[in-house]
Amino acid sequence: MKFHWFAEATYPALPTTYPQRHPSGSVDVPAALVDPHRAGELYRMFIRLMQQADRLGWDGLAVNEHHQTTFAMTPSPNLLAAGLASTTENAALLVIGNSLALYNPPVRVAEELAYLDCLSGGRLIAGFVFGTPMDTAFAYGVPPAELRERFHEARELITRAWTEPEPFAFNGRYNRLRYVNVLPRPVQAPPPIWVPGTGSVETWDLVLDEGYCYGYLSFFGLANARPIVRGFWDRVERRGLEPNPHRMAFTQLVCVADTDAEAERLYGDAVRYFFTRQRAPLHYANPPGYTSRASQREVLERAKGVSTEDRLRATRGELSFWEYDELGFIVAGTPERVRQRLHELAVELRVGQLITCMHMGDLAEDVAAMNNELFGTRVAPFLRELWAEYDDPWTPPVSRQRVAAAAPGIPVDAFPSPRGGDA
Amino acid sequence: MTTLEIPHVGRFDVQVWEQGSGEPLLYLHGYERHPGGAGFLRRLAESRRVLAPEQPGYGRSTGVESFTDVLDVALFYRELVESWGIDRIDVVGHSLGGMFAAELAAIAPQLVRRLVLVNAFGLWLDSQPAPDPFGAADEVKAAKWHGEAPTSEPTNFEPDPDDPHAAILFSAQNLGSATKFMWPIADRGLRRRLPLIDAPTLVVHGTSDGLLPPAYAEEFVRLIPDARLAPIEAAGHYPMVEREDEFVAAVTDFLEG
Repeated sequence: MKFHWFAEATYPALPTTYPQRHPSGSVDVPAALVDPHRAGELYRMFIRLMQQADRLGWDGLAVNEHHQTTFAMTPSPNLLAAGLASTTENAALLVIGNSLALYNPPVRVAEELAYLDCLSGGRLIAGFVFGTPMDTAFAYGVPPAELRERFHEARELITRAWTEPEPFAFNGRYNRLRYVNVLPRPVQAPPPIWVPGTGSVETWDLVLDEGYCYGYLSFFGLANARPIVRGFWDRVERRGLEPNPHRMAFTQLVCVADTDAEAERLYGDAVRYFFTRQRAPLHYANPPGYTSRASQREVLERAKGVSTEDRLRATRGELSFWEYDELGFIVAGTPERVRQRLHELAVELRVGQLITCMHMGDLAEDVAAMNNELFGTRVAPFLRELWAEYDDPWTPPVSRQRVAAAAPGIPVDAFPSPRGGDA
Repeated sequence: MTTLEIPHVGRFDVQVWEQGSGEPLLYLHGYERHPGGAGFLRRLAESRRVLAPEQPGYGRSTGVESFTDVLDVALFYRELVESWGIDRIDVVGHSLGGMFAAELAAIAPQLVRRLVLVNAFGLWLDSQPAPDPFGAADEVKAAKWHGEAPTSEPTNFEPDPDDPHAAILFSAQNLGSATKFMWPIADRGLRRRLPLIDAPTLVVHGTSDGLLPPAYAEEFVRLIPDARLAPIEAAGHYPMVEREDEFVAAVTDFLEG
């Protein structure tokens, strides 16, 4: 199994009244709540943590795009990835992703991602995302009715710009370019492409048609994911494709400590901060036209893996630390416990690409660094061989080779020697 | 169901509510939904032939994906009216339908005899930013009505006993289609075309409309060469519902005058 380091760049110093006084964590958040100097410190911290993760054997470093929100203050993932490309050695740069419909013209995405692939020596994974409603419809004003069409037109333009040997003209509905000739082209021809989704059938068919990796990027854990992930694998089977676990990426908040009690003490407040600061009112979260009719029906009719009540309790901060854990919103505790639970999760969901959220909310840097250290040396080495019998064309060959050569192995003191008595 | 094929544009299957006989009247509904056989439409149909198509992308009317921009919509209505064998028609457009009616009158002046715009979208005033018609549901509902919201708003929705989600999907689909022309701001350049309208125009406006302050109606009157304002007091975004008598009288007087 592959591990990709990730954290939402959540602003750490929001007042305790934040969820009550400001019902939305995005779109119209009062800008005065955010101190630009503090934001700078935050960015520098994430870069340090990701450099550490690179040294500790993560297969990828994931960066994402969100706008006008304190929950994830990364308006351009490409800028962060550029910093990482020149200061890391092994891990893939998982840019997941660029909200394609927001770039005008979308060749900008083709150029910047190609730049990243060149700078990193072929370590780029290109994520193509629709973007949340808050990002696309509100912050960038794209009519929801046009979003999907704009996304697909941009996707076609970008992939052609990476692969066609000669300059070409592109006469789309939203983009007209006489001379498309992106320079430089990416090192990988083309880079692996990942598309996250929320369980819509259209997205499943898209990734299966195009050979992309599918990401179900929720923060609500195994139980919540179960019906959606099952639906995806059913779709794979029905279409007669190989159920290669590396087709599927999944996010999981992870809190490792030397003891379970220590985990609660170190991560409890940050977990609560993370879940209570990401609220969005319904009219921001679900504007008309954002979801197709077929997908909307799917969502309405699909069995809920986690009750709406439990989700609400999570976002109101009404769950105890171990309730968050039991519901699967976090996986917490000793390295042994975390290892065992992630193994169960990965096997049940057939996940080959685990996006581990190692920092959450307002967690202190030293705790996140310890989380990295414990996970990298005492959790990941035991799970790395899972799914090793399957190829993984969804991560860059360069990072696969370098991580395999550099990642920490299973510590020698992890098991008593099998012939311990004879030694 | 009327099927219309427009070469190089697309195919449209359109529900048309039709009633009455006499001079033809095209009614274009608002951004939320087709009103079905609402009282005001039936009363207008007492003295004329009312044709009220459901906008493509709403309810069971298809073809919205063929629209590139609002010009396509104006051409669609021109083709639709001509497909009925009508060469001159009165047009009443409400809300988003008002934007389309004004576009039609500008693009096909020969076709439109008289024009009535009712609480029409299509303009933007920096001095009076209009609130978001897709905002929080309770806020939009409060903004739309002068008085208490009616228990049921006029609609062509038909509940399906086998589909508990039909109402949610109906509403989401309608509003989703509206975003094509109203998101993020309901301005697709109509201001530049209003001076091209030849038809005598009545700008009806429920003056308590919280979605469109009266200044918007005044701006339509200012920009359309032969237009006058017919304010309806004690009515919001749906004057034809809140003040049906006054609405029908104002429209009928104008069309017959």
